[in-house]
Amino acid sequence: MTAASNSQAGLSTAGKIILPLIAIIVVVSVAGTILWVTGVGVSLAEWTLDTGKANIEILRFVAAATGVLLFTIPAAFVIIYMELKIIAQMNLRVGPDRTGPWGALASLMAGLKVLSKEDYTPRGVDVPVFTLAPAVTFLASVLTLLVIPFAPGMIGYEMELGLIYFFAAGSLGVIGLMMAGWSSFNKYSLLGGLRAAAAVISYELPLILGTFGVVLLAGTLNLGQIVENQAGGIWNWYAWQQPLALGIFFIAATAEAGRTPFDYTEADSELVAGFATEYSGMRFGFFFFAEYVNVFILSALTVTLFLGGYHGILDVDPFLSAIGVETPVELSNLDPGSLGPWLLAIPFLVPPILTLAIAALLWMIKTGWGFIKSLLVGFLLANLLVGAIVSIWALLSFEALMGIVWFMGKSFALVGLFVMMRGAYPRVRIDQMMNFAWKWLMPAALLNIFVTAGAIIIVTEYLS
Amino acid sequence: MTSDREQVRSLDDPEIMVQTPATIYDAIPPLTPRTEREAEFYQLEDGEMFLNLGPQHPSTHGVLRVVMKIDGERIVDVDPVLGYLHRGVEKICEYGDWHHAISNTDPLEYAASMFSEALPVLAAEQLLDLEVPRRADYIRVLAWELNRISSHALFIGWLALDLGGLTPILYGFAERDEIVEMLAALTGQKLLFNYMRIGGVNGDLNHEFLSRLGDWMSRAGEHINGQAKLMNENEIFVNRTKGLGVLDRETALGLGMSGPPLRATGVPYDVRRAHPYSVYPELEFDIPTRSDGDSYARYLLHIEEIKQSLRIIDQVLHKMPDGPVMAKLPRLLRIPPNRAFAAIESPRGQYGVYAVSDGSDQPFRFRIHDPSFFNLQAVGSLSEGQVLADIMAIMASLDPIMGGIDK
Repeated sequence: MTAASNSQAGLSTAGKIILPLIAIIVVVSVAGTILWVTGVGVSLAEWTLDTGKANIEILRFVAAATGVLLFTIPAAFVIIYMELKIIAQMNLRVGPDRTGPWGALASLMAGLKVLSKEDYTPRGVDVPVFTLAPAVTFLASVLTLLVIPFAPGMIGYEMELGLIYFFAAGSLGVIGLMMAGWSSFNKYSLLGGLRAAAAVISYELPLILGTFGVVLLAGTLNLGQIVENQAGGIWNWYAWQQPLALGIFFIAATAEAGRTPFDYTEADSELVAGFATEYSGMRFGFFFFAEYVNVFILSALTVTLFLGGYHGILDVDPFLSAIGVETPVELSNLDPGSLGPWLLAIPFLVPPILTLAIAALLWMIKTGWGFIKSLLVGFLLANLLVGAIVSIWALLSFEALMGIVWFMGKSFALVGLFVMMRGAYPRVRIDQMMNFAWKWLMPAALLNIFVTAGAIIIVTEYLS
Repeated sequence: MTSDREQVRSLDDPEIMVQTPATIYDAIPPLTPRTEREAEFYQLEDGEMFLNLGPQHPSTHGVLRVVMKIDGERIVDVDPVLGYLHRGVEKICEYGDWHHAISNTDPLEYAASMFSEALPVLAAEQLLDLEVPRRADYIRVLAWELNRISSHALFIGWLALDLGGLTPILYGFAERDEIVEMLAALTGQKLLFNYMRIGGVNGDLNHEFLSRLGDWMSRAGEHINGQAKLMNENEIFVNRTKGLGVLDRETALGLGMSGPPLRATGVPYDVRRAHPYSVYPELEFDIPTRSDGDSYARYLLHIEEIKQSLRIIDQVLHKMPDGPVMAKLPRLLRIPPNRAFAAIESPRGQYGVYAVSDGSDQPFRFRIHDPSFFNLQAVGSLSEGQVLADIMAIMASLDPIMGGIDK
């Protein structure tokens, strides 16, 4: 390490980048030549392709799992930033305002800080269990994202029993919490882990029973199909037919994610940090991320089951076709080749002319502005205009993009609700919480199932 | 408790063999038991374990350490361990002269130090039989009541924070911040004011203080009503505190409690009315009491008391006489040999001092009666049978300040 840093000490910044690159290129090309000459490379490539073709499902699963894993990290950063900023507003504070615009990079910096901290294993802990616990917790919550439909066709793995898979994978998270609590060699951790187990047993039931009404109405456990059933505007969402289930599900989801007012697992005024007391560095980071990913996932499931998933509030297709726009706009309708040599005008002429036009307009309107300033602002505005046009075109052409915008918008609105609840409420005592789960939520969920089933029978048997 | 101890490797240094229980789930008494009670406490029944709360814990309000014997989430018994903040204030006061005692007693009640610093002042005035200028008396009452409000605002926030609410503590601090800023304009300090003097106060009212006070008084009532609304109508907060930690008046009187925890049981004992001092007899205010004796009653009482304090401040500002703020005293203050007990109603109850003078310029004995110490004693009987989360709410509702308890 010291030799490498010594040899790099005299280099410029560009040299520090280019020299290792040259070394890597040389090594890669030499290795490639050897592989090609000996024939190993060709057979290796063929074998890879054949295996891939034979196991396309597995490849797809791996790719989707990697995708959701990569998605969760920025999502967690956004939720942490939301939490910092929204609770700050509720507390009459400013919140983070140092790194990035309006402190938007504060959560990213917190993530980097967690990465750079010492990963400390205290003496006396059960090392393998202690090490594995954060991974179990994080992966269990991330893997549930596989069956959530983000947009039409954008679903990690379409399962017929998607909902069952969701709850099965999601419940594994508590094993991680219990592992952390048990192995940490700390009584506060132990109590936190046991509280997590007790709470999950109590709240998993109303959470699952709350979704049964929707399942009965939809007639399927496939989440993609449940979302498709809710197409066509806000009045088709299951929230109107299942308001009680929505309430039960949301409350139970709050408990399941361990959020205020049910954040007894890491109650900081009682159990210091609960199951995560002995953790530091990125292992603590995994617990931290898992909490926020859980919040997002449960919001996403609420949106999927009750709030129309990726469908918009209004079905815009009839309006658009009324004014002559067919959606999705077919890409084949636009043939750039038919423009001939004028095609060159698009990249070379349009941006300068647009910039100049806007700059001239600004120069005429804003008396105080010089020519250079108008030109700069004009360039900026022209780019924004082009970007906006391209975005609208993309939104109209790709159903998936529109779907993901709606889905994310609704999910993050619900996340905001979770965050605001944290600012507004104190913690519920554990026995009150258990009473609430077993004496109120469970009977309400069962009642909801009976009423829904009865209504379905009445509608299908007698009214049709 | 495991009976057979064997030699195991120390968890701190594997090279050392120690004779100690190998796991944290075994009982580890601190020393050989000193009392019968301690010997009984450190015996574990089946299914019980010890949980050591503090001295470094987020919600023990300082450096209180409570060893709890718990069965699952239920608390079987508690053993508070005091002394982590002991500085020997009483003895230090005996080694300085009477003026030094003011700054030495200042940090006793660090959330409302206007009260603890008044102890040597009141005691010395009683021993000297000194007439304090009326303006100084009114300024003292003004400062006391402002400090009472700032302390009570903090109490409300702390109670909510220990129940898991994040927002009220910052509302309380916003209120406290304004008061502390105006007291800083008056005294030059934000926390330990050192403002009271034997025979008066250190400095007259100034323009900045009065303008800040007028500005704040115009919206203080609205603020406290807003904060009360935020918490009184919060279902979870009410359910957590109602019926929690119920004290009856015999127990409270027997433990020597005072202040809001005593008044919440229905005893209208307030030093300002029971043993009037300063100019309180000339002012109109009520002693709010509640009969429930639970945490919720204590919380409501604090809200009521803030309103009464606002009433007192309003009257004081209207009645404020002109004149000097210090009595004429010799520079070297020798106090005639005698003994005196002076008491003051602090935000936490009766703050008293029993002072003996031997005729020199130093107190011969300076015994401080701290209300937090007596109020905290109720934790033991109140927390038995409660769940772990509730001991925080009980402790917060008794509002202990460790500076005064450990002295």
